[in-house]
Amino acid sequence: MGYTNLFVAVCISVMRKGTVEDQAAIDQVLSGDYDAFEKLVEKYQGRVYRHLRKMVKDGQQAEDLLQETFLSAYKGLESFSGSSSFSTWLFRIATNSALMFLRKKRPESVEYNDEIGGGGNHDMMMHSSEFIRTPLEVLLSREGREKIEEAIEGLPVLYRTTIVLRDVEGFSLKEVADIMDTSVAAVKSRLHRARNSVRGTLSSYYTERDVDAN
Amino acid sequence: MKTCKEFCDNLSDYLDGEMSSDECRLIEDHLAMCPPCALMYECLKTTVSICEKGVSEDMPEDVKERLKVFLRTHCKSDRLKFREE
Ligand SMILES: [Zn+2]
Repeated sequence: MGYTNLFVAVCISVMRKGTVEDQAAIDQVLSGDYDAFEKLVEKYQGRVYRHLRKMVKDGQQAEDLLQETFLSAYKGLESFSGSSSFSTWLFRIATNSALMFLRKKRPESVEYNDEIGGGGNHDMMMHSSEFIRTPLEVLLSREGREKIEEAIEGLPVLYRTTIVLRDVEGFSLKEVADIMDTSVAAVKSRLHRARNSVRGTLSSYYTERDVDAN
Repeated sequence: MKTCKEFCDNLSDYLDGEMSSDECRLIEDHLAMCPPCALMYECLKTTVSICEKGVSEDMPEDVKERLKVFLRTHCKSDRLKFREE
């Protein structure tokens, strides 16, 4: 077995182990062990909160939705079939709650805001070389992280949700499609545009930064 | 013959391993001979890799605490229901 295959095998076994652990915890919760539920909450709260912050942007709303998400998960735990992983199921609840909230508050932010540019032309060429020449420690410095977050937050909600689920949370394309209740083709298309938009924003930023520095 | 734009449109899927081996070969051949597309690809790859590491998971302690209290309060009635089964 090559190193890549070995790595993939280890990753899959770690993922399965996580799923098995979650299922064991769920069985405990259903038999009346509330502590087991609190452990599940502790395990996922940071990721779900981050996801909701990115979706609705407002901290207080994200917190309300976070509480709602885990309460719904608890109440609906008996209906969790195990056909998807617990994390996919949980993120699906969170995403649906956030989309419902956004549709109610500002329908146009969800329904009519589903198109962005970002086809990926050569017009960004001038910008791009500075971006990839920038060392990783700068890209991931405090300032660099802020720029990444800004670039993602500037996207329409369905795009930022897609890129966060795939590239930040690491869900597979199929899982993202399940979470967002859409097709894999739609996920690929939104991801392509979202990634290119973020790439464009960051490329411009590092080009200007480079010009300013010289 | 595909245009550069068409190649660039496939780079996101290529990164996700969603292309067939024939399509991959076409893309790799093109990237090897087209510096602008190769640069575009490097930028896209960098973007994807820093998204994962760059978005923090910081959750304020008070938000955690309020979540715990909220759930303990609201899950109570369902807790009894689970136990009775
Ligand atoms: Zn090209």
